[in-house]
Amino acid sequence: MADKILAKDKLADFVGGLKKDLDVFAPKLADDKLVWAPLEDGGEVLWDFSNTEMSPKDFFFPQTECMMHFKNDPKDEKGMIMEAEPGLSKERALLNIRPCDAKAFGVLDMIFCQDEMTNDVYWRDKREKTLLIGLACNDPCPTCFCTSVGCGPHNEAGLDVLLVDLGDKLLARAVSDKGKGAIASLPDAAKADANKAAELKKAAEASITGGVATGNIDGREVLELFNLPMWDRVHESCLNCGTCTFCCPTCHCFDIQDETQGDFGRRVRNWDYCMSWLFTIHGTGHNPRTGKKERVRQRFMHKFKYIPVKRGGEIGCVGCGRCVQLCPVNIDVREVVNAMNQ
Amino acid sequence: MDNQEVAQKIREVAKKLLSEGKVSCVIGFEKGTVPMRERPFFAYTPEEADRLTWTSFCCNNLANFLVRRDLGEAGKVAVVAQGCVSRSIVGLIKENQITREQVFVIGVPSPGMLDRNKVQAMVGAAKVITEVTEDGADLIVKGKDFEERVPRKKVMRDNCYTCVQRNPVIVDELIGKESEPTHGGNIDKVAAPWEKLGAAERWAEFAENYQSCIRCYACRDACPLCYCHVCFVDEAQPQWCGKTQDETDVLTYHVLRAFHCAGRCTDCGACESACPMGIKVRKLTSKIEKDIREMYGYQPGMDLEAQPPMSVYKPDDPQEFIK
Amino acid sequence: MKKLLEYVGIEPDRLHFSWISSAEAEKFQKTATSVAEAVRALGPAQHMIKDIRKVA
Repeated sequence: MADKILAKDKLADFVGGLKKDLDVFAPKLADDKLVWAPLEDGGEVLWDFSNTEMSPKDFFFPQTECMMHFKNDPKDEKGMIMEAEPGLSKERALLNIRPCDAKAFGVLDMIFCQDEMTNDVYWRDKREKTLLIGLACNDPCPTCFCTSVGCGPHNEAGLDVLLVDLGDKLLARAVSDKGKGAIASLPDAAKADANKAAELKKAAEASITGGVATGNIDGREVLELFNLPMWDRVHESCLNCGTCTFCCPTCHCFDIQDETQGDFGRRVRNWDYCMSWLFTIHGTGHNPRTGKKERVRQRFMHKFKYIPVKRGGEIGCVGCGRCVQLCPVNIDVREVVNAMNQ
Repeated sequence: MDNQEVAQKIREVAKKLLSEGKVSCVIGFEKGTVPMRERPFFAYTPEEADRLTWTSFCCNNLANFLVRRDLGEAGKVAVVAQGCVSRSIVGLIKENQITREQVFVIGVPSPGMLDRNKVQAMVGAAKVITEVTEDGADLIVKGKDFEERVPRKKVMRDNCYTCVQRNPVIVDELIGKESEPTHGGNIDKVAAPWEKLGAAERWAEFAENYQSCIRCYACRDACPLCYCHVCFVDEAQPQWCGKTQDETDVLTYHVLRAFHCAGRCTDCGACESACPMGIKVRKLTSKIEKDIREMYGYQPGMDLEAQPPMSVYKPDDPQEFIK
Repeated sequence: MKKLLEYVGIEPDRLHFSWISSAEAEKFQKTATSVAEAVRALGPAQHMIKDIRKVA
């Protein structure tokens, strides 16, 4: 399908069209913070922003999610049965999601839905029912480093549609069949528009200078990286809180618990974080990751070594830079990875 | 002394202490990788001490790193501490987490630390800041296509405005001269803001304040006084506090953590500075600091000899609430 | 604790303190009754309730 054009003054119509069948969400400014929120009409859409504080992974992997509920009552006809929570009742669209976040969900697809045995229905249901309309970054932030982890400011992987801001209009490119359907009714783009988009892409990619080098990590043995002396220093200021894990679009660890009240109960899944000692404590009381050093090392090893080894080279990081901005003690993933790569 | 001179002196003192083997480590700050961030740094050699710095963005509470720390061969570490940090150190000494002899306090009168979120809000949330430098009473904030001067006084951390102890309470070596003890603000004007409201509104404010909490526990992990091996939130048998994002679970965590810090919290604001969501944690915790001050006339961390009211019984303790 | 709970909008009369030794059986009975009455008078608690039937 040829590229299309969406004029900004026609945006309300476009959004109106989406809203006929879908709930639409977009980044919004609330109390000086950029957050994902329902979009009421086309006028509120932001074009000039870096990225939301928290990634949109909550749309597919909610921080607290009830998986099933049950009632311990043999007399009730529905008792003693575990009932799964129903899937999403209405499909939705995420407008202006950044390419890094969209790519992250592609990485998580590989982890949540691996094969017949490992096939997370909760994740899949939400993914299948969501249209991702991405906004390319023409002006990446100083903390972005997507280009060095297999992504980029105009990257298309994981998106259904990519929008490129050309000023008073947007170039709309369909990436998937779903995307084709979403923009089919828009006018075709002119060659000059496509050329401008390509120039903006080149300029954006060139502006990302603070990257990471990961070439050597591939060739090094796991144990060699594991035993590097650098870990003794990296972990020192870490608070072992969950900030980096929770704001990261690729982090996906969780804890499942059953909560009961009287004869009613529910099985709930909450985000968990490997920075916590609680994450690996065994029933015996033994903890294989006894100290901060082990836990900090684990997070970087998982994202930059174990995931690439297990997922055919995909890196467990998309370079969005949120952890760099939000870490209370400014531990910079770029520094750590470059040190791993030495 | 301006911050750069202080930084120079810190480096000198640190180098001397390390080369003489008096301390195994100097805990201070080094330049961060993003604007307006200085970050905790642990210097083990005189060469590493060259990385130590001091600016108005040294917002972490370094006393946090003293608990369960390996003190090395010297059996002693040095900490760069301004007023609030030194009060936390006193708190830790009183709770036997560290002894006075194990800490060498490099004292610095606080310039009043600045809140990077406030600076960002001043230039606009969507603008990307690339560089911030201090210039006397102003900050020069630069970004792509803009440069602005922002007065320091407008972007100080909330609790720095009402600080009553800028100078360190205990000190082994003071950098520069002691400054005015306060920044002029009155804590009682801003502490416990919900006191003035009715009960229903208080709950609404409380719940709304923590609306964006993601249970990352940065507030707890940044607090020098939250050092329990097993925090109540991590207990599983029984599980005192739920781990879901349900309002009750989130608020239970916060109100109980505040309660555990009663009589010990010095209002250093590390919790609020660490919160990635910018939650005003002190709206809750300032209440306990105020109550302890009013009911017991006690300010934690000011005096190594004072007896904390929550640990010590006195016959004239207020007890009108006991039947 | 009472003051902190009151500060966040929970009625102070939901929490009571009393010193009672095991030898003061009568005081225990009287206190337990008066606490139960005081709390009952406040009606059902509105806050800090997590009903898992109702939450998502």
